[in-house]
Amino acid sequence: MVESKHWSSRLFNGFNYALIGLLALSCLIPLIHVFAISLSSSAAATGGLVTLWPVDFTFESYAYVARRSAFWQAMGISVLRVVIGVGLNMFFCVMCAYPLSKEKDQFRHRTFYAWYFFLTMLVSGGLIPLYMVIRMMGLMGTFWALVIPGAVPVYNVILLLNFFRQTPRELEDAAIIDGASQWRIMWQIFVPTSTAALATVALLSTVYHWNEWFNGILYSSTPDQYPLQSYLRTIVIDMKLTNMGANDWQALVVVSDKTAKCAQIFLASLPILLVYPFLQRYFVKGMVLGSVKG
Amino acid sequence: MQKSVKAPSLRSGGRFRKELPFHLMLLPGVIIVFIFMYIPLSGLIIAFQKFVPAKGLFGNQKWIGWDNFIYLYNLPGAVSALRNTVIIAFWKIILHLIIPITVSILLNEIRSTAFRRTAQTLIYLPHFLSWIILGGILIDILSPSDGILNRLLGLFGREPIFFLGSNDYFRGTLIVTDVWKEFGFNTIVYLAAITNIDPNQYEAATIDGANRFQKMLYITLPNMRMIIVLMMVLSLGNVLNAGFDQVYNLYSKQVYSTGDILDTFIYRIGLLDAQFGVATAMGMFKSVVSTLFISISYFCAYKFADYRIF
Amino acid sequence: MKKLSALLALVLALCLTAACGLAEAGLEKYPEPVEVHFVRSTDDTLDTNFFANFPDKTMEDNLWCDLYRDQLNIIVKYDWIVKSGDEYDTKLNTAIAVGDIPEFVNVSTLQLSQLVEADAIMPLEDIYEQYATPFTRQILESDGLSPFQAATINGHLYGLPNVDSSLMIADLLWIRTDWLEKLNLPVPTTIEEVIATAKAFSEADFDGNGQKDTIIGIAKDLWGQMFSLRGFFDGFESYPGIWVEDANGQLVYGSTLPGTKEALKTLNEMYNEGLIDKEFGVKDGGKVAEATTNGKCGLFYGAQWNSIYPLQSCVNLDKNAQWQAFSIVPASGKVVKAQTDVGTLSWTVVRKDVKNPEAVMKMFNLFIDKNWGPNNENGIYYAPLDSESIWKLSPVVPTNPHKNDGAFLDLEQYRKDGDESKVQGEALSILKKLQAFESGSEEGFALWGWERIYGAQGAYGVLIDYYNKKMTQDNLFVGAPTETMVSKMSTLEDLQDEVFIKIIMGEEPVDAFDKFVEDFNTLGGEQITKEVNEWYASVK
Repeated sequence: MVESKHWSSRLFNGFNYALIGLLALSCLIPLIHVFAISLSSSAAATGGLVTLWPVDFTFESYAYVARRSAFWQAMGISVLRVVIGVGLNMFFCVMCAYPLSKEKDQFRHRTFYAWYFFLTMLVSGGLIPLYMVIRMMGLMGTFWALVIPGAVPVYNVILLLNFFRQTPRELEDAAIIDGASQWRIMWQIFVPTSTAALATVALLSTVYHWNEWFNGILYSSTPDQYPLQSYLRTIVIDMKLTNMGANDWQALVVVSDKTAKCAQIFLASLPILLVYPFLQRYFVKGMVLGSVKG
Repeated sequence: MQKSVKAPSLRSGGRFRKELPFHLMLLPGVIIVFIFMYIPLSGLIIAFQKFVPAKGLFGNQKWIGWDNFIYLYNLPGAVSALRNTVIIAFWKIILHLIIPITVSILLNEIRSTAFRRTAQTLIYLPHFLSWIILGGILIDILSPSDGILNRLLGLFGREPIFFLGSNDYFRGTLIVTDVWKEFGFNTIVYLAAITNIDPNQYEAATIDGANRFQKMLYITLPNMRMIIVLMMVLSLGNVLNAGFDQVYNLYSKQVYSTGDILDTFIYRIGLLDAQFGVATAMGMFKSVVSTLFISISYFCAYKFADYRIF
Repeated sequence: MKKLSALLALVLALCLTAACGLAEAGLEKYPEPVEVHFVRSTDDTLDTNFFANFPDKTMEDNLWCDLYRDQLNIIVKYDWIVKSGDEYDTKLNTAIAVGDIPEFVNVSTLQLSQLVEADAIMPLEDIYEQYATPFTRQILESDGLSPFQAATINGHLYGLPNVDSSLMIADLLWIRTDWLEKLNLPVPTTIEEVIATAKAFSEADFDGNGQKDTIIGIAKDLWGQMFSLRGFFDGFESYPGIWVEDANGQLVYGSTLPGTKEALKTLNEMYNEGLIDKEFGVKDGGKVAEATTNGKCGLFYGAQWNSIYPLQSCVNLDKNAQWQAFSIVPASGKVVKAQTDVGTLSWTVVRKDVKNPEAVMKMFNLFIDKNWGPNNENGIYYAPLDSESIWKLSPVVPTNPHKNDGAFLDLEQYRKDGDESKVQGEALSILKKLQAFESGSEEGFALWGWERIYGAQGAYGVLIDYYNKKMTQDNLFVGAPTETMVSKMSTLEDLQDEVFIKIIMGEEPVDAFDKFVEDFNTLGGEQITKEVNEWYASVK
């Protein structure tokens, strides 16, 4: 394309760079703000003096978080949850998406199965019956309650099956003539050619497992089992002043202060922020192909 | 379908053997989905009961027909929650289309690869943060007394705006912050569509003397038509999803009248007040309406964009 | 007639001896270990004050569990533990809904009535009669029988009250007295003077930032125990949230009284004058506490403990700051009474099929005996100097409702006669704190908050004054929640708070109050009022 040197084009360029730059900054600044508060003194933070640079620089809040074993324990559980949860998601995704990606002439019942999965995206029984099922399965209070009930991420299955469909039929036909079983075709042809989609699915379920907090609270039997976001919920949450026993004030005295909260917020966002730029190349490709092409 | 399975012809038997691996592959997933998604559906019956919690799901509950629905219909909070949900979701749907489309066109006009890459990476960032985290950050940033946004407005002589506490601003704040969180991530599909445009089209236009704006307007945008229609249609299904996580972590009593949505209402009435019958009735209402909209939208997607979801 | 009374006397005598004999049973050790399964919530106090110092201890292995095991052979187990807040209710309500009812559980009256309706828990009156020691009865009943009435349905007692003081939650008016002195102002005695004082504080601009941003502290919960509005409304003869008698002796909901409208009108005027934080509706107690610490608030309504939190951090930052609690005041032409409610917030209920339901009564006995009995070890088990709130490790926590005012009276006596030997138990550990403060040492200063509660100018002096001058308005409905209350009250309370906040902020005119009263009645309030009065007639 030839760049026009017309003045309006230059003006537009300047404007465009400024706008995009501002938008990009708007996404970064909040995090910098939180980081700056976490490195400031408590007085400066509560006084609202901190903007983007620490005031009365101190590592005190990080020293506090370092000592706070509950934070690290929760972080550990979240990491484990991501590893196992995403692993399970990937397994079920591939196993379900592959047969569903077949055309009707190859797999007559694909429409039935597809509806079977798709319907669950439309209606749900709500929390109470699900809770009951989880209890009956003996999962309550175990780590597995966080990863097994959602092991089949239907949205991701659909995304992946649309991607699988792009794989040329000739590849498969050739393999069948060579006598390969469907299992081998899945693992040796479809999976290796779908790395972008698989990376996307992995990223989506990583984000889900890392950010989910409600189930973490509901299905745990002690706060020691809380994943990171559930733990954060208990510290970022509002202070409740009604329905307090006459002696409950003691809990208020130890409420952690703003800088410590910000330090924990920042540390909690860090892992995923360090990961996603490296997966960017894949998920950009995966999102597009999976969702767009039918 | 069933019939052909049972047909005892030799050919069909061979076919079955050929298709067996597919059934086996699906089996584990089918079981998990059945246990954790289909069995719980039976819980919907409590929408028609005067549900006494401790009697349990299949206990001897009193059947009261549509009473829970009628009660909801007369409850001012429920009606305003429905109204808020629709308004918030509507604007989110619209802006989730317009902003990412605009931004992706603008991004495409940026020549410096380094700048574009950096900007792209940065605008994806908020998508990866949870509403718990963003809630903590936003409450701080948007505070009228010492939040940085209001201090910035103060420099321009504006009175502080009470983003999270005023019924004039709360919905707007919800919509803008949600769009801000997701617009970057949503540009991905549009950028891809732009990349796929045949460069010859642009060259031909240049020869015809078209300037940049004309090219954006008459080449880039029309070429994105399909994906735009598709995204628009697919987002219809969200008409009752105003975002539980976001609202729950940002709202307060004084903005219930503009900010309380179906999901937060269901949560409060069901889990905090233990009125499970009423809450389930509302959840069911939401499911039915959503299903309706999703069906319409997928039908449209199939019709107009030749898209099939599976 | 004579015969009858003789017979009655005989029966009574028999009962008494029986009670005496069985009183022992109340603390008797089981021959075999008995496991009791509870569920509970926990909070940061235990983490910070106990578990941080004893990392090898757990909820099921600590000094209280040891005590129950060694003295009663009761093994305490928890089916689940959750961080306090909405999450406890969420989890418990869900568990109840799926029929996963814990063996022993502390519930609200609302949950209690649901459990009774489902026939899931057992009546406990016989167990109470048989196993409660005389001392336990004395403590549990020392604040009136309302904690028992609240858990009584169809004549059966379904929950043992974890009693707590009702007087202790009455509102006080906390004022920064160093500012009063600087401006040479008297202590306000009417609402009008309170407003004038607030205005003077605001205009004086003590933090010197050039803005009139010193406010009356109000947190978004409105009726909490800190930065509350209850004391303010009480000054208008309006008692939001509790049930009081009208002129005809019928119970009415305090929020719907005409005084409420006047109070709202006044608050709206104050809001417009900038005496109330523009953001109060979204600020939780912690945020208002920050403002208070930074010298942006010189006056608020709250409970007696507010000097320890949040005011201690205010004086830590500004050593010249001084606060004092005063009696709440009436609007001109009104009589002021401080509203109180049943202080008890949780009742321990027992699932129907539990084999040893009396175990929980024994635990109540032991808990009360160890903390307040004649041979108490309060300094070890309740509030040792080095780790406050250790008592929360016990799954049942009935509190001696009069422990604090009792301690205050003991200390008053000591201040008169200087006889330290008469000061015992919790009063003694408080005395040590007061002495540490008076020593003027650095560590002692951290106990300023305690001095403001129990010292000569202490908050308890005001509360005891309320009591002596009959300046309290109790909640007259203390029964179990009525049927309509169970299903509709919380929705009505939400509606109330929303409307009140909007009126104060001027988003709706003061007359919106009348619409609220109308809505309140049509949305179930009328039915609730009827049920409440039926109950009232039945106990009169």
